[in-house]
Amino acid sequence: MDLFLEQLFNGLAIGAIYALITLGLALIYGIFGVLHVAHAGVYTIGAYIGYGVYAATGNLALAFAVSALLCALTGVAIERFIYVPLMKYPPYVPLISSIALFMATEEFCRLVAGPYVLSFSTNLPFPAFSFSGIRFSSNLTGVYVIAGAIFFFLWILTTKTETGLALRATSMDAPIASSLGINGALAVDTAFALGSAIAAVAGILVGIYYNEVHPDMGAMPAYKSLALIVVGGLGSVEGAVAASLLLGVAETLLIGFAAIPLPRDALAFIAMIFVLMWRPTGLFGARS
Amino acid sequence: MLLEVSDLFVSYGGVEAVSQVSFSVGEGELVSIIGANGAGKTSILNAVMGLVPPSRGAIRFDGSDITRLASHLRARSRMRIVPERAHVFAHLTVLENLLVGAYGLRKSMDVQQRLRSLYEFFPVLEERSSQLARTLSGGEQQQLSIARALISDPKLLLVDEISMGLMPKLVETVFQALHDLNRRHGLTILLVEQNALASLKIANRGYVLEAGRIALEGDAADLMRDAGVREAYLGI
Repeated sequence: MDLFLEQLFNGLAIGAIYALITLGLALIYGIFGVLHVAHAGVYTIGAYIGYGVYAATGNLALAFAVSALLCALTGVAIERFIYVPLMKYPPYVPLISSIALFMATEEFCRLVAGPYVLSFSTNLPFPAFSFSGIRFSSNLTGVYVIAGAIFFFLWILTTKTETGLALRATSMDAPIASSLGINGALAVDTAFALGSAIAAVAGILVGIYYNEVHPDMGAMPAYKSLALIVVGGLGSVEGAVAASLLLGVAETLLIGFAAIPLPRDALAFIAMIFVLMWRPTGLFGARS
Repeated sequence: MLLEVSDLFVSYGGVEAVSQVSFSVGEGELVSIIGANGAGKTSILNAVMGLVPPSRGAIRFDGSDITRLASHLRARSRMRIVPERAHVFAHLTVLENLLVGAYGLRKSMDVQQRLRSLYEFFPVLEERSSQLARTLSGGEQQQLSIARALISDPKLLLVDEISMGLMPKLVETVFQALHDLNRRHGLTILLVEQNALASLKIANRGYVLEAGRIALEGDAADLMRDAGVREAYLGI
């Protein structure tokens, strides 16, 4: 039973990290209509910047802040200089450029930092404790607290603020939102900045949690998060979060605990296939 | 003139939908543009609101040239549109839809007070304020769309085919409401309508649009007496 619970909590932490990556993708797709595959590239860059700042200063909070800020700017730059000029073409054009951009960021990281696995050996500054026999490492606690804080912040932002209302209105009907005084370009910038900053945080968390940062670390999140936003319902942020948490738990329990002989990373795609067959709009998909 | 459109052209992929259209709307007027389906009425309104770019021509609003101005900036200079088929935000509540209409205005106006006066005008919206907009009937969505535009206290209200898809009884109510807004509250309204009779009845002036061009213009009462108009649009 203890092992089961321990696995459950680990799975939830992994799911929370998936969610931090995927929600940015859902947010951007919802408001901009582009499958931003290079989002996982931004996540990789975020992990490297965090690693670099921490190695140089020893200040983890600074590493998070600098990385989030630089990645927010990177995300907005990708939107403004790559996607926006391509929006006049059919949707597969920005999609293909997004895939190319993702590969370019991987190679960029390899060129700058070398093709090695860097070890991000530090602990998140949170208490480790045991609760009725289940051990929570400081990193596990840290992932919970940081992810929880970000989810809470986003919930407040989207449901309680005028900016959040403008983002939701724009994602539902951009022309009508603009005819009511909402600056659509600013809403898109906001989505890219927010999503990218959160992806940077996720990159650092993964680097520390698994103690490694490497140029290919974005590959698995890149296609897993695509499967996850399909399962969650394209463009639905709450759907993306729910699907991510479910996947983290399912991967850990089914393959780690129940020892089903499947490659762990196949599960997201199996789930995607079943969801597409049974409910093509996704778990939370509202739009048709 | 509050709104002056001169020599407006709108085309989609080389096909001209609006050709050399000029018209104006004075402060306090209710002007109606009538015409058959596909005559280019919606394109004209969308060009005025900034939702489609004109290929040629000039649009002046409230003393300044807005031809190249972004849609959200036109909205902020107090122009609002009630789009065809209401276009409410389906997955926002009724209240949230209204608050989107008041976007950016929370500091400069008493939004609660505006809500109260709109609820007086459209009581059903108060009853349903916490419902998602997609659960409303067609007529209720139309009311929500009007209220969402009115909450900002616009100088000019553009109204696109409001009678479309409404029951005849509701059409009468909605046109009566527009009439009241114009005559009692001094709201300037530009209406485009397929339902020529109902819209000319409440208008001061009218324009008849045929295949993207203005074919006829004049006082609404004169247009209703015009033999050609009666035959083509009023079915009399």
